[in-house]
Parts: sequence; C-alpha cells; structure tokens
Amino acid sequence: MDENRAVNRRQYLTAVGASGLAATAGCIGGGGGGGETITIGSDIPYAPFEYRNEAGDLIGFDVEIAEAVFAEQLDMDYEFQETSFDGIIASLNNANFRVIMSAMTINESRAERVDFSDPYFTAYQTVLLLEGSDIGSREDLQGTSVGVQRGTTGEAAAEDLQEDFGGDLQIESYDQINGAFDALLNNQVDAVINDNTVSASFAAENEEVVFLEGDGVAADRDDAPPYLTLTIEEYGIAFRQDDDDFREEVNGALATIRENGTYEEIYNEYFDG
Amino acid sequence: MATQTESESSGGGVLMRDRLVKRVGEVAAGGFVLAIGGLLAWILSTQVDYSLLASPLIARRFAEAFFLVVQIVVISSLLSVSLGVLVGLGRISTSNVTGRIAKGYVEFFRGTPLLFQLFVIYFGVPRLWATGEFPFTDWAIPAAIIGLTLNHGAYVGEAIRGGIDAVPNGQMEAARSLGMSRVMALRQVVLPQAWRNALAAIGNDQIILVKDTSLLTVIAVPEIMSVFRNINSNQLDPWTPLVWVCVLYLAITMSMSQLVNGLERRSDWGSDSRMFGRLSGLGSGDDDGGEEA
Repeated sequence: MDENRAVNRRQYLTAVGASGLAATAGCIGGGGGGGETITIGSDIPYAPFEYRNEAGDLIGFDVEIAEAVFAEQLDMDYEFQETSFDGIIASLNNANFRVIMSAMTINESRAERVDFSDPYFTAYQTVLLLEGSDIGSREDLQGTSVGVQRGTTGEAAAEDLQEDFGGDLQIESYDQINGAFDALLNNQVDAVINDNTVSASFAAENEEVVFLEGDGVAADRDDAPPYLTLTIEEYGIAFRQDDDDFREEVNGALATIRENGTYEEIYNEYFDG
Repeated sequence: MATQTESESSGGGVLMRDRLVKRVGEVAAGGFVLAIGGLLAWILSTQVDYSLLASPLIARRFAEAFFLVVQIVVISSLLSVSLGVLVGLGRISTSNVTGRIAKGYVEFFRGTPLLFQLFVIYFGVPRLWATGEFPFTDWAIPAAIIGLTLNHGAYVGEAIRGGIDAVPNGQMEAARSLGMSRVMALRQVVLPQAWRNALAAIGNDQIILVKDTSLLTVIAVPEIMSVFRNINSNQLDPWTPLVWVCVLYLAITMSMSQLVNGLERRSDWGSDSRMFGRLSGLGSGDDDGGEEA
C-alpha cells in the first residue's frame, strides 16, 4: 500500500473527546447518507486491530476496515471513541456510539443485547507462555494462573477451562490486554489466554514469549494456526438492535470490499497473507 | 405557605428571618430526600433483578471480595498510621536533613496519583528483574498494601504534623522549663494533645483509604469493583451488582466512622497522660464496645 493513501485514511481519524457527544447526538436515528459521522466504540489499544503508532495516530486492521466500509463504500465520516471493553455493549446501547468495532467476537450472550454484522475475521483463543515454561499441554494448565482481559472471550475461555478443572485455575483479569502481557513477563501469571493474532504480535516483539503448542479445536482446519487453539471465533461489527437498515448497508459494504480485493489488501498488510 | 413566610419576613425582625431561613432549609432538605427516595425506590423496583441479587453464587463472590478488601484495609491502615506518625515526627524534626526528607516524601506521595504509584509498584518494579525472574509470583496484593501504605502514610503524616502545630508553644516551653528533654516533652505532653487534634483528619484519610481500594481493580486484585465489572459484563445488568457494591463499601466506611467517633470521644475524656494507655488497649477490646466496629 502506498504511503499517501495511508495518510489519507488517517485524516479521518479525529481525536476523541468533546466532539464525541455531539457526533453521537447527530447520528442517532436514520440510515446512511453523505456527510454523516459514524462514531465507533473501540477498546484501544488492541494491536494489531486498533492501536496507536508513535505519533499517536490510530491504526490497525479494524481501523482500515472502517475506512473501507464507512468512508469508501458508504460515503460517511467516522471517528473512533475509546472505551473499556467490559462495558462496551452497555455503552453502545446507551447510545454513546453508533457501532462497535473492537475485534469483537460474535457469540450468543452478546447477540442477546446487540446485532452483529456478517463476520469479517476469524480468530482463535490461544495460550501464551514464557519460554521454558513447564506447561506443555492444555491439561498442564490445571493449578496454574492465567492472565486475561476483562470482559473478553479470552476470559470466557479461561472460565470454561476453570470449570473443566473443577475450579483449579486462577484467573487474573486485567483492564487492557497489555496488563496481562506485562503480568506474564513479570511472573504474575503462568500463561495468557487471548486472541491468536493479538498474542502473535506481542510474541513477535518478545523472544521470551511463545505459544503453547498442540492440536486444538481448529486442528483440522486448513487455515488453522500452528499452535493449540481453545476456540474458533468470528469477529463482527456490533449494532444496536433497532439499527437493521444500517446493519444491512454495512453488510453490503463488507461483501463489496471482499469482492474488490480491498479486504485482502488490508488483511495482507497486517497479517502477512 | 409562600404568603405566610412573606408576611413573617416583612413584619418581623432578624429572628423572624432566621425562621424563614430555617424553613427554606427544611423544604430544600425534604425535597431532596423525596427526590432521592423516589429515584431509589424506582431503581430498586424496576432495575434490580432480585433473583440475581440473592443468588448464592454472586453473594459468595462478593463476600470473598469483601473479606479480601477488609484484610487489605486493616493491614494498610495499621501500617499507614504507623508510618504517618514517623513522617509527622520527621516533619517537625529539628534536624534539617530529616525534615527535608520527610517533606520530600510527603510531596511525592501526596503529589502523584495513587493509580500511578500502584502502576509503578505492580507493573514497574517487577521489570527491574529479568523476564520471568521476579521472585514474588502473587505480587498484586503486596503491591496494593505497599501502595496504599506509602500513599496514605503521607496524608497521615501531614495530619499528625498539623496536630502537633496546633498544640500551643507554651505547652512545650512549660514542659521544658520543668526539666523535661525535648523528646520527653513531645512524648508526654505534646503528642497526646496532637493525636487528639489529628484524629478527625486521620479518620477522614482512612475512610478515603477504604474507597481507594476500588483502584486495585486495575492491578488484578479481585476486590469489590472487579466482581461488579465481571458480573456486569457477563449478565449485562449494572444495577443489581451495584446494590451489592454500595452496601459493602458503606458497611466498611460506616464501621470506620463509628470507630473514629469512638476514638474521638475517648480522647476527649480524662487526662491526656492516660489516653495512650487506653488507646493501646483497643485491640484487645477491653471495657466498652464503642470501638468494636
């Protein structure tokens, strides 16, 4: 991707803050249309989906998908609003923003409160360890402590494991995924359970950090990652339940960017094909 | 009613106006109670899911968090008050070195947010070791106690210093003129009075310490707010767990005010020289139950 285009995209990303409220008020009700500003709730940072570069510009896979869907396909302005993940659905339903794009997994309990777009990404819950850890399999996690981010499907996967182990798993919940990563480096937890791509980008920067190996639930999929997978999940854009028309428009736009190659271009930029 | 108060204020003097002010205050306070009471009744009757509220699973999780918070509060309270006495004495030291160090300590821990201090201790300190080499594997609760103690030690220190400053100089001078050393005069004459002066401020600070434990949620201490956040994000129901949170914090802070009130009453009686003896007997719960909050 050439540099000019990337800069262009970032021009849309205005700072969050006072403007958020006005923008939200402006976008309640009504479907798409030129000049309308869509406020997107997102838990930042969650690299490589939404994070800031050294200059403070918001970048990431979700950000570029938002650019392609809202700006290029639907001719709308958009802005991201930072929010904490554990309260993100309540914030959406309280009309603090119009949609959620926050690497959010589609699942049943969330679908009771929000409507999801068609899936736009497949993710797996995976286990990160320090190199040289005694943990060599899923069963070895019994009796250890795992770090997760509060309110995420990583936390849910850890709770499922805890139930499997008859409660013999300590779960430490952090506000941001970086807290859990820090805790791993700082010897506070034995493992971190989180989405594979996010964990992979952290592991790529820390040579002491490795994935737990093994065949997981995704073992027989062609595109399965080469390490233990606890779950297979799909990300969707979340809407309020009374926002069907807009959701349909976004689904159309998602289909278009998959067809015209934009999606693949963005995917390859962040996940090396 | 308006006409009545008007006639009173136009026809009467200062006393009548006092009554008017009193009535206005009563109306405002009554209106406030009605509005808040109505809002609370509405929330409790429409927003709270009582089967979830009474669910043993949730009760158990909140109970665990509550007892953890109580333990953290008791330990941090004892440590921060002890540290505060030392800091307060350092602040009034005749040695320039001690005085300045104590002042620097207070400026730092009072001048930076507790959240920052917790991050330094929990995320920063372990990184001074190589990856995975930090020797304390359950660092969250020790880090919490260290952070709360260092932070509130600074506030208690200032309260003690203020208490000492409020004791008239004549007390020290009289004690010295009787042949006491400065240390002896401080211990026997000035500090007992300073303690009494400082008690209200110390009590205030310790109640803030209780509420500051809510910040521990960001360093993965499974305290009360963490339980709330987990239940809210799983059940998508804020009000039901909020009722628990409110009741549990008030249970701690109101017991604490009772304790402080008891201590203040005690320090008002009798001679100052015996007061420390009585206070030190508090832990064993000797004569009356006033302090057993």
